[in-house]
Amino acid sequence: MTRFAIRRALVLGSLAAAAAAPAWSQADKPVRIGFSMARTGILAVATPPQLNTYELWRDQVNASGGLNVGGTKRKVEFVMYDDQSKPEQAVRIYEKLITDDKVDLLLAPWGTPFHIAIAPVLEKYKFPVVGNTAASVALRQVKPGYIWFPTSAIPDRLATELTAMMKSANVKSAAIVSNVLPFSKEIKNFLEPELKKAGIDVKHSSEYPPDVKDMTATLTQVKQANVDAVLALAYPGDAVLYAKQAKELGIAAPFQFIAIGPTNAFFPKAVGAPSAEGIVTIAHWSPRPDWKGSQAFADAYQAKYGEAPDYLDSSLPWMSLEILQTAVAKAGLDKEKIRQIVSTETFDTINGKVKFDGVQNAITPTAFVQMQKGKLQIVWPKSIATATYEPKKGW
Amino acid sequence: MAVVDTMLSGQLLFAALVTGSIYALVALGLNLVYGTLRMLNVAHGDVVMLGAYAGYWAFSALGISPLVAAPVIALAGALAGWLVYRIAVRRMLAQGTAAHRLEGNSLLLFFGLSIIVQNATALAFTPNNRGYTYLEHVLHLGNVSMTTNRLVALAIAGGACVVMAVFLGRSLAGLTMRAVIERREAAFIVGVDVERVQALAFAVGFGSAALAGVLLSMLEQFSPFSGFPYTIAAFIVIILGGLGNVAAGLGAALLLGVLETYGVALTSANVRSVLLYGVFVAALLLFPRGLFAGRAARA
Repeated sequence: MTRFAIRRALVLGSLAAAAAAPAWSQADKPVRIGFSMARTGILAVATPPQLNTYELWRDQVNASGGLNVGGTKRKVEFVMYDDQSKPEQAVRIYEKLITDDKVDLLLAPWGTPFHIAIAPVLEKYKFPVVGNTAASVALRQVKPGYIWFPTSAIPDRLATELTAMMKSANVKSAAIVSNVLPFSKEIKNFLEPELKKAGIDVKHSSEYPPDVKDMTATLTQVKQANVDAVLALAYPGDAVLYAKQAKELGIAAPFQFIAIGPTNAFFPKAVGAPSAEGIVTIAHWSPRPDWKGSQAFADAYQAKYGEAPDYLDSSLPWMSLEILQTAVAKAGLDKEKIRQIVSTETFDTINGKVKFDGVQNAITPTAFVQMQKGKLQIVWPKSIATATYEPKKGW
Repeated sequence: MAVVDTMLSGQLLFAALVTGSIYALVALGLNLVYGTLRMLNVAHGDVVMLGAYAGYWAFSALGISPLVAAPVIALAGALAGWLVYRIAVRRMLAQGTAAHRLEGNSLLLFFGLSIIVQNATALAFTPNNRGYTYLEHVLHLGNVSMTTNRLVALAIAGGACVVMAVFLGRSLAGLTMRAVIERREAAFIVGVDVERVQALAFAVGFGSAALAGVLLSMLEQFSPFSGFPYTIAAFIVIILGGLGNVAAGLGAALLLGVLETYGVALTSANVRSVLLYGVFVAALLLFPRGLFAGRAARA
């Protein structure tokens, strides 16, 4: 807290100094960008790829002379608060950032519930935010206007695309093990009927709690089901547990899907490269020559943090920053103009072109990646694939 | 019948033993500290978490096998426990606080400490998930497959618990510790150096937790917030076994491991918490002195 108090004092001090200075020094004043982030509490473990991406962007922008604000380059400064993994805290923080800190721009917090929670605040103060790390059919219920979601990993679309991918991989039977947290449950609810429709026999389906410590009992049953595909609708914590115990039990299904976790650089370290090899997971980004800046982003992230960016939770924040950056270059800091531009224009991002239809990204296809020779490659859909899907050969 | 096959396969028994032995090792330290001082160290799981970090850094940064690092880390943990006792706990005891207040105050003290440790670790090491792979080879024994690191963890955790049980049952230092646990005033009157026994309990408690942390770092991923579930599990174990009753705690830990694996196999993974806390509450209501109170040495 003291750190924030000091920061506030500094900010107030610099504001006072700026007010005293003549008007032409506006360009010297940094653009202040606010956001909340779970730095402590249960979700703190999930946020580093997002915060790292924000900081990488800020450093790159400042190194290039500053953010283009309607033609004038101005340095970027962050005003960050810890929301302690509580959406209601994020609501208070965004209100404070707008009314008290009077920041120039806002970035998104981490996670679906936080995006949904702050949407009414943005609506109230007519303050646009390009969202990033949120994915749920519930997002479509958010009133369009001041928040947008670049993700294409919405559970109903994931279900249809995953089923189509499994069909094309000649999968006849599947087992589903699902964490009971909202995102995985949502996927499961859409996936089961979709698989049935496609004639894929779901021989085992069970759920487990987020604090699961041992999956031997469940996975022994999965092994006995002897299926072509195991769909582990896991979160990062249990994704590792699943992979380790599937290896121990020798689950031989050639189609191995783990919902969340394998996009993060820690995953292959925690389970071992041979185990990670061949696993399919959710992501719609990978460095591609025709997606301008995608390789440069991956390289810069690797250079700064010593590990690969998260293929979901780093690439999505970067996309949102690119969109905001383009809008601010044209509109300056005029919120209404920014809103107009983000709502209507088409943006070039590291994930290809993005255009919003209401709150949703209307262009980026729902996609899946597979770990191949230590690298995540887009293997579905074929229109943006960077490699061909290969069955997993053991752990 | 698939479920019966699963139950009899031995695979579940192995999983139950691994889980149970880790719980036993974690609970052992918590129990010693509670037994000798009547202080419930809610930050116990965080010592486990710090032990996991130590094992991780030893392996990832220095390339030292966690098995080689384990004794060193356990000793460092023991030293830390001894220091915490000398610096913080002894002062609290010296203030002459009544025993019942001490129990409550220590709960608050350790709870605060736990939050500080978790968040300081998150700030210092980032809240990232950590994990590494070590001894990942899968061994097959009949129809049971065992990852080497789980087998090694079982052997070390189980071995450490047996060593502790022998220490408490056979050695003079162990017997005096038990004397303090069971009849504190009487032990004091017959000339037991209670002060030293308490310091030793803290050292052994923290040391065993750090050792459990190193073992866990080989098995699963962890973050600064991974310790608390182990505090809870250890808490359930020592309630089941009886507060301060170390030997019964070992049995209770295995029971908990069995309950977790076989219970899940018979029902669903979703009822895991219901099972654990159900048994916990039932034990509190029906056997408030622990499941094994009748057979234990304590009257």
